[in-house]
Amino acid sequence: MSKILAGTKTTRMELLRLKNRMRLAERGHNLLKEKRDSLIMEFFNAIAEIKEARNVVEDTLSEAFSSLTQAKMVMGPSRVIEFAYASKVRTDISIATRSMMGVRVPVMTVEQHVPELPYSLPDSSARLDTMSIKFREALKSLTKLAEIESTVKRLALEIERTKRRVSALETIVIPRLDATARFVRLALEEREREDFIRLKMIRDRMDMD
Amino acid sequence: MVSDKIAIIGDRDTVTGFRMVGVQESSVPNNVNEIRKALLDYFRDPRMGLIIITEPLAMQVEDTILELSEAPVPVILLIPDREGSTGAYETVLRELIRRAVGIEINV
Repeated sequence: MSKILAGTKTTRMELLRLKNRMRLAERGHNLLKEKRDSLIMEFFNAIAEIKEARNVVEDTLSEAFSSLTQAKMVMGPSRVIEFAYASKVRTDISIATRSMMGVRVPVMTVEQHVPELPYSLPDSSARLDTMSIKFREALKSLTKLAEIESTVKRLALEIERTKRRVSALETIVIPRLDATARFVRLALEEREREDFIRLKMIRDRMDMD
Repeated sequence: MVSDKIAIIGDRDTVTGFRMVGVQESSVPNNVNEIRKALLDYFRDPRMGLIIITEPLAMQVEDTILELSEAPVPVILLIPDREGSTGAYETVLRELIRRAVGIEINV
């Protein structure tokens, strides 16, 4: 039996109020349960997406690395590094958020500013161009993956929070309201019986007179 | 719409490749402390949106990454290096799933 709410008055008003609160808690509980279930569904969808995006990333990355190796073979490792650090390509990502079942999830877009001449053309090999393109692709797929992964992360946090709320309502709030309502009802009944007996006794005494 | 920076922590080759396509912040750490320091430095940068770290390096600072993954931004992303995937990202993901759903699921 859970504890009753402290300071409850045993009046009819209070009983009505408790019943209303109870209804509200139950409705909230049902809504939260539905929310939790659909969040979990979304979560598993996102997990499936992660797998796909992972595969894409792994493929594009391994291609990118092999083109890097080729560039290094043609131009020599130190020249490639030199070119890489001097590259004029700029990449930023912009993060916007969209709402998914009330969870704010990020939407990432890559912004690549590729100048006409990112590096000195006569000094570089065509392999360097290939490598640059491959890595650009890899970065794009990486961003996609990052987006999905952080979606999953936020969904996971939200699921945790919702689960905690559901079980708080289930195991604490609702039983406590229930117990309090019961206590008030019993007290009211008891008082009714007392009144009844009192009336009876008075009537008996009046009859005796 | 705020445009954010990308940072890369990895071995020489990975960093070279991503420098080529315009990743501005990069670091090639040599030991555990340097990895952790680079990670925290990038993490504290308010304009950072995405931190990419290669799996072998990430494995050495797994606890720090799990801890930092609690924050939504910046996103920390583990990528395979040229040797291929080691499956380190799964550890991070599985921990998340375990906490969210309460059971272990293979990804």
